Amino acid sequence: MALLQIAEPGQSPQPHQRRLAVGIDLGTTNSLVAAVRSGLSEPLADAAGQVILPSAVRYHADRIEVGEVARAAASGDPLNTVLSVKRLMGRGLADVKQLGEQLPYRFVGGESHMPFIETVQGPKSPVEVSADILKVLRQRAEATLGGELVGAVITVPAYFDDSQRQATKDAARLAGLNVLRLLNEPTAAAVAYGLDQHAEGVVAIYDLGGGTFDISVLRLTGGVFEVLATGGDSALGGDDFDYVIAAWVVQQAGVSADLDPGQQRLLLQAACAAKEALTNSALVTLSYAGWQGELSREQLDALIEPMVARSLKACRRAVRDAGIELDEVEAVVMVGGSTRVPRVRQAVAELFCREPLADIDPDQVVAIGAAIQADALAGNKRGDGEELLLLDVIPLSLGLETMGGLMEKVIPRNTTIPVARAQDFTTYKDGQTAMMIHVLQGERELISDCRSLARFELRGIPPMVAGAAKIRVTFQVDADGLLSVAALELASGVEASIQVKPSYGLTDGEIARMLQDSFKNAGDDKVARVLREQQVDAQRLLEAVEAALLADGERLLDADERMAIDAQMQQLRDCMAASDGLAIEQHTKRLTQITDAFAARRLDATVKASLAGRSLDEIEE
Amino acid sequence: MGTPCHFALFDLQPGFRLDPELLASRYRELARHVHPDRFADASEREQRLALEQSASLNEAYRTLKNAPHRARYLLALSGPELPLEVTVQDPSFLLQQMQWREELEDLHDSADLAGVAQFKRRLKVAQDELNESFAVCWDDALRREEAERLMRRMQFLDKLSHEVRQLEERLDD
Repeated sequence: MALLQIAEPGQSPQPHQRRLAVGIDLGTTNSLVAAVRSGLSEPLADAAGQVILPSAVRYHADRIEVGEVARAAASGDPLNTVLSVKRLMGRGLADVKQLGEQLPYRFVGGESHMPFIETVQGPKSPVEVSADILKVLRQRAEATLGGELVGAVITVPAYFDDSQRQATKDAARLAGLNVLRLLNEPTAAAVAYGLDQHAEGVVAIYDLGGGTFDISVLRLTGGVFEVLATGGDSALGGDDFDYVIAAWVVQQAGVSADLDPGQQRLLLQAACAAKEALTNSALVTLSYAGWQGELSREQLDALIEPMVARSLKACRRAVRDAGIELDEVEAVVMVGGSTRVPRVRQAVAELFCREPLADIDPDQVVAIGAAIQADALAGNKRGDGEELLLLDVIPLSLGLETMGGLMEKVIPRNTTIPVARAQDFTTYKDGQTAMMIHVLQGERELISDCRSLARFELRGIPPMVAGAAKIRVTFQVDADGLLSVAALELASGVEASIQVKPSYGLTDGEIARMLQDSFKNAGDDKVARVLREQQVDAQRLLEAVEAALLADGERLLDADERMAIDAQMQQLRDCMAASDGLAIEQHTKRLTQITDAFAARRLDATVKASLAGRSLDEIEE
Repeated sequence: MGTPCHFALFDLQPGFRLDPELLASRYRELARHVHPDRFADASEREQRLALEQSASLNEAYRTLKNAPHRARYLLALSGPELPLEVTVQDPSFLLQQMQWREELEDLHDSADLAGVAQFKRRLKVAQDELNESFAVCWDDALRREEAERLMRRMQFLDKLSHEVRQLEERLDD
């Protein structure tokens, strides 16, 4: 849509029309979809009344099963059943191997560096597996809400790096979802909690899921959720508790650690069941492959202590990064199923010297918060009139490789997004005409300890003596936390830029093939769908322009400009009436272009008005 | 936002003393208007515009919020551009500087957490004093050179407090 929709408070351009948008928590163990209905955000249930969808996908030769059925089949058909796929998102084959031999899959390399899982349906990338989970949630939402979705907010761990975020966005695209925003899980939880409790002040969100851990410190002020700092570990979660229990069993039972995939699944299931049972009892009996033994809560506490300690360390760091002391945190909210483990609660309570809160179901709170944000982003007004604003940060520093294999930070961690920052570099050899730009993410000084996000080359620098060229590299991180980088030689104007394509992402070729496959499978009439989308877009644009003209047309446009806009609007209406897809697209674009300047003027005027309005109030005080 | 000056953006008079609460509340208000979330459904160009405006708003806020950054920005507004790193002739401070550093190194070697906490409190007091001196000095146009020197001292203490945080992190390992 080309023009700002600036509605007067309490007045919506289309008061009776609620646009359908959902929040999706794509979790390691479980996934959920939620939506705001009658002013209330709640998870949506499937036909059987279940809101939680286990993040499990089983591939058969001719069909796909997702959810509980798939999870139940994991030990019987381990190679074709994918669990905890989130741990593989945005990771390279080498990273995945490092995660351990514990993963009972057969990996194959793809066109990109991403690991593919070999199944009876052919190789599946983690992105495709995630998309299969998202598709089920999308269908559930469309069936429940009775219409097509405008878009979705998908949550990601705050500590996810650029590759992992990009992979998540790709998965949503494959599932046919329009991503309104990638939202950090702890921030989503803070929204749900803050609005529910009308909380103000400094809040810490401790989010321990199946495979990831996040800690975020936020300041809540009248509908504004400002993340002060975030930290965590994108490879720490309840799954790891299962692994240490499993390792303990192997040791106690005196069996070989070299298990086949089916045995491994069975063992992990037994370990997970024992962990869950120990939440309410002090002792549990475990049996595996003929061995039987007892595991006490104290033993479990000891086994998981190193991981709990790691999470507490991340908490202390986040509090320091927020520039506050531990006792300034006014509330601690527990999120994620793994916070049900008693030792975790106790350790968090001890660190912050206060009882952590779990008023909202820790499994649901993220999806509930995401749905509130999705509803707002789709343009629906909130019932209480309070406007939400989420100010998030980047979790890891971004920088460039400099001489000697060192990382030079351009944007430090915990910088508020969106952010754009430039740094100047120069050539180090006489007559140097090209420069390699190597983009990195991480906190360590040596580039080998950081994650390599992308490499690209700036060519065509005019030959000069060493140190004379001035190359400005600009980093820009958008509101999804995704990075793009541009390099410009200032004297000659030579330019190079890239949307950072993560080293472990899918190639464009792979995405195109998958999209094509999904169209084929869906059996959708693609042409009709495209035309419908074009008409919806055009209609929305027309409505927005009309509203804008009504509000500011006289004030901000001269007669010629006004005439040009009116004429273009009429042309667009004509081709809509004729259902001419190509013409609709062209004229929508054209209308967007000729209203651009108007849009910019309105944005400026809004900013000025917001200042002027406030100054006036102050004078009156 | 087309305005050349960060202070004007927040509708504030250029000056060193400012009310952090007022700055924060104006920031939040402006952010509400330009944040990309308001344009989630808008055209690509509008989203880009919102992204750029939001990014420059965040940058302006970051500059004014932090005292040394604010001081440096003020000096740059009213005079020639200041190089980031220069050798400053400030012998009386040099001695203090060396003392701070030595102490920090000792704390590192002894891994003394209580000592670090105390060091932080003293550092905070020194920073507050320095901010006050700069504020007084800034009000007097004739004392620009002194203001510049004070700003360099502020930068040093800022860097030092960053190093204290890194030390705390290392000691937490």
